[in-house]
Amino acid sequence: MDYDYSLKFLALGNSAVGKTSFLYRYAEAGSGVAFNPSYHPTVGIDFKEKLVVYEPRDGKHIKVLLQLWDTAGQERFRSLTTTFYRESMGFFLLFDLTNEQSFLAVRNWLDQLRTHTYCEDPDIILCGNKSDLEAARVISEHNARELADKYGMVYLETSAATGQNVERAVDILLDRVMRRIDAAVDRALLPYDRSPSGLTKDDTVKKTTKSSCYC
Amino acid sequence: MALNPSYEAIGKGFVQQYYAMFDDPAQRPNLINMYNTESSFMTFEGQQIQGAIKIMEKLNSLTFQKINRIITAIDSQPMFDGGVLINVLGRLQADDDPPHAFSQTFVLKPLANSFFCGHDIFRLGIHNTM
Repeated sequence: MDYDYSLKFLALGNSAVGKTSFLYRYAEAGSGVAFNPSYHPTVGIDFKEKLVVYEPRDGKHIKVLLQLWDTAGQERFRSLTTTFYRESMGFFLLFDLTNEQSFLAVRNWLDQLRTHTYCEDPDIILCGNKSDLEAARVISEHNARELADKYGMVYLETSAATGQNVERAVDILLDRVMRRIDAAVDRALLPYDRSPSGLTKDDTVKKTTKSSCYC
Repeated sequence: MALNPSYEAIGKGFVQQYYAMFDDPAQRPNLINMYNTESSFMTFEGQQIQGAIKIMEKLNSLTFQKINRIITAIDSQPMFDGGVLINVLGRLQADDDPPHAFSQTFVLKPLANSFFCGHDIFRLGIHNTM
């Protein structure tokens, strides 16, 4: 298949917050072609693929193969297998706007994510899902936004049922991850960053250079 | 005590009864009768738990309602205290999730004319690498 980049995005969050429906809604709707849904029982991971075109401001067309990874319910029994976090470039952290417990669990998910992922500040979109159930809402937009700001996440209210903000969430994550890769590649090309002293002096270069392995 | 010659039938019978109760949310609370208040151990996905009440707290905290289960093999051995060691290999499906492989080990301890579950170790067959 013909593409420029292949990226893995993971959906995290308590069971029953709508991760599977969220990914399903994205894979089946909008632009791009979804295909090849498959389940890997050895690692308990479900995934879908979608080929999308990323258009940065400079008018380029970059073909990106998105792999959307889902937990397949293993989180009901255990903490997630570390395979789930490794090698993935972006994260959707979902909670259910009508379920306080799922919102309180966001912090634990962040802890786990940061322990196992490729860097300390990965790109994460916090999604307050089930926004169509306004009457049952128990988490205010203000509280959710406050939490997102505190941990440097983007916050969106989404609905897998109506499709609200689902594509937007993926687009924002894709944009952030592609910018990160771009920055890493640009910096890696600069001669002084290759010297060991240049790397140790500037910690951010070290981190982003590491992330370039995944592109 | 001597080895119990019916270990195989006891193993199969226990496993059937245990999962019939576990998989039905209405019957699940009755599982407490399988365990001893103090001396029963459970290891659930690496988490160590002791005593019937704590064990039931763990089982009640699981978020699924219905479980569908396919048992692939039940292997049993008699123990010198009259108990039975049982290992189960199978697959389970919680609600509408995809199915997962699991293995579960029980040690039944003799108690009067019956048994209680003295040890219970549960793991999903999920690995860290593809």
